[in-house]
Amino acid sequence: MVPAEYYLLLSAAMFCIGLFGILTRRNALLFLMSVELMLNAASINLVAFSLQWGNLTGQVFTLFLMALAAAEVAIGIGIILVLYRNFADIDVTKPTTMRW
Amino acid sequence: MVSAFEFVPAIAVLPLVSFVVALAFGKWMPKKGALAGIFATVGSLLISIWTALTVAGFLGSETVYHAELWRFATGIGTFNLHLGVFVDPLSSLMLLIVSLISVLVFIFSLGYMNDEDETGLPRYYASLSLFSFSMLAFVFADNILMAFMFFELVGLCSFLLIGFWFREDAPPSAAKKAFLVTRFGDFFFLIGVVGIFATFGTGLFATEAGFPHMAEQAITGEMPGPVGEFLSAVGMGAQQWFTILGLLVLGGVVGKSAQFPLHTWLPDAMEGPTPVSALIHAATMVAAGVYLVARMYGFYLLTPTTLAIIALIGGFTALFAATMGVVKQELKQVLAYSTISQYGYMMLALGSGGYVAAVFHLTTHAVFKALLFLGAGSVIIAMHHNENMWDMGGLKEKMPVTYWTFLSGSLALAGIVPFAGFWSKDEVLYEALIHGLGSPVLLVAWAMGLLAVFLTGFYTFRMVFLTFHGEPRSDTAEDPESVRWNVKLPLGVLGVLAATIGFINMVPVAKLTGLKIDFLHKWLVGGEVLNAEFLTGLEHYEPILKEVAGIKASYIAGGEIPTLLISAALSLGLALAGVGLAYRLYAVPEPVAHTKKLGGLRTLLMHNYYQDEYQVWLAQGVTLPLARAADTFDQGIIDGVVNGISSVSLFSGDRVRRIQTGVVSNYAALLTIGLALLLIVFGIVGGWF
Repeated sequence: MVPAEYYLLLSAAMFCIGLFGILTRRNALLFLMSVELMLNAASINLVAFSLQWGNLTGQVFTLFLMALAAAEVAIGIGIILVLYRNFADIDVTKPTTMRW
Repeated sequence: MVSAFEFVPAIAVLPLVSFVVALAFGKWMPKKGALAGIFATVGSLLISIWTALTVAGFLGSETVYHAELWRFATGIGTFNLHLGVFVDPLSSLMLLIVSLISVLVFIFSLGYMNDEDETGLPRYYASLSLFSFSMLAFVFADNILMAFMFFELVGLCSFLLIGFWFREDAPPSAAKKAFLVTRFGDFFFLIGVVGIFATFGTGLFATEAGFPHMAEQAITGEMPGPVGEFLSAVGMGAQQWFTILGLLVLGGVVGKSAQFPLHTWLPDAMEGPTPVSALIHAATMVAAGVYLVARMYGFYLLTPTTLAIIALIGGFTALFAATMGVVKQELKQVLAYSTISQYGYMMLALGSGGYVAAVFHLTTHAVFKALLFLGAGSVIIAMHHNENMWDMGGLKEKMPVTYWTFLSGSLALAGIVPFAGFWSKDEVLYEALIHGLGSPVLLVAWAMGLLAVFLTGFYTFRMVFLTFHGEPRSDTAEDPESVRWNVKLPLGVLGVLAATIGFINMVPVAKLTGLKIDFLHKWLVGGEVLNAEFLTGLEHYEPILKEVAGIKASYIAGGEIPTLLISAALSLGLALAGVGLAYRLYAVPEPVAHTKKLGGLRTLLMHNYYQDEYQVWLAQGVTLPLARAADTFDQGIIDGVVNGISSVSLFSGDRVRRIQTGVVSNYAALLTIGLALLLIVFGIVGGWF
């Protein structure tokens, strides 16, 4: 069996890629994808520990996470559409009015 | 049979209903709400009479009544606050006086206000009804907190009515002055009420659970537990602490009853409509202070110091106000100063142990002073609201009803036998004399009261002669406006009463002939229940007066009857001398002002001893700088600290908010940095490295 450390490394790598995407990209769609990557990195963690301890809870939790991610994407896309309608662009650095 | 006592609350509630009716519907009613007031006060008068008959024992065996009406605050592990009714001879007598004068004043107002086409009548009648309500409820209050509440309401009504003509300059300012000066006294009263509740855990006036009885026990017998605990917490003796409480409550009395030094509001209060002056500033509201002392007399008797102070204030005020009345030119001003002076007599009587004398003078004074004010009102109608006596003269032939009734009131005020004032004032002075022979302080107070008798006779008849006798001194006085039945009826009723009401307590005659005709004395002695259970009867007070207050009667010239005769002869002689002097100086066809002969004294008297100036100086020279300093402290230091703290928050908030750029990537970066920092901190603390 593949030891859990490998899975954890994979998940950490995915998380960092996602984080990097969020910090550097300006396109909202890429933003959304990066968020998905980070979410799935967390899911991999859960599944890996589930495998290690022979406990199904982690995997069940992952199923929930998938549903959550789907919902999140729907909302995310909705936000992006509104963004485009208002600013004629989906650059996330443009809308800065929602602050003090 | 239905007992009158069950209807006692209605005595006060009826005028309250009329207040609401006059205020809400007065505009559309005939006579603008006067009828509502008349019906309500006549109802109150009828119930008062019924109550008085019951108290007298004509209608069944129950003669004293005490009931709790409404408990508005229930204490857990401590005392309750409630409104209640207490009817005993004193309060039933006062209910009778207040409701009788109210009825007559309402009727008189028809002539003084409605017939003169005044505007704002619903407001006038509503305030008048509210006043009757508050005063009546004050009278039957069974505890000192309820008394205080209605005492304040009475003050409010006085404010509303003095300032009735609020579009002119003087009335609103007089109203404010009256309110503030009496409030100043009431402030001490409030502290006294709190003190009484804190000490005794009750504010009841009567019964063994009441505070006068507990105080009596604390001084003469066994110390009640809670009182002892409180006294040891305060660290004072019972006598000393009760004196302080008594003096605090006395503050309210001095303010309301216009005693020196808080008397200055009453002459200014004459800016109000004359019927109001008759009802409020002569017969009833001003009586509230004196009544309060009589109500808790069992408490005051325990502290001789307070009694001596009451007597001194009273005697001094009687003389002091009488001197100012001598030089006044306006009809109502003379009456105002005589009111202050007469209330001084009542305080003198109370302070020197003459409980009956004080209540007697309160009764007769209510009648003859209401009469004099209503008579003055009639003159003012006739003179088209000119109040200067030097513009009058010769009104005797033109308005006979007013003249004869006014004369009856004046004879009563001056204390000429057999009019009401003679009997009561004589009794006041007699009590002060026999009790004062053993105590120099009371004797001084008596001497001042006696001197005031001469001045009273003088200024009263100076007023009568200037107003009614001689030749008319102005065109209006040549042809005065006539008055109608609604003015003459109250004058007639009061005129007869002023001549006869003194017969309810002819002590000198009773003592000389041995007849038992001192009815008021017997009335206040009360029955067995009153003295044994409710402890507000005279039989209960007399032993305390002798033993605790140490006021004992002693006689000159070998006995009670010679002393009585000497006292009566002195006061009657002085009164007659005053009247005679007034007759010599002013009962001539063309009187001239003799006041110039007084020289510098005249200026002093015309300026009311500079009391107003002195009080204004006190307000502007002392209180105002003090208030400014306090304001500076409040604004600068207290508010400064608060404002300083808030400005620090504001400034730092303004800086910190700049982190919020609105750019999502920046937030994500901050989140990441924060997470990394947290991990490092946990790592160091958790010992990973």
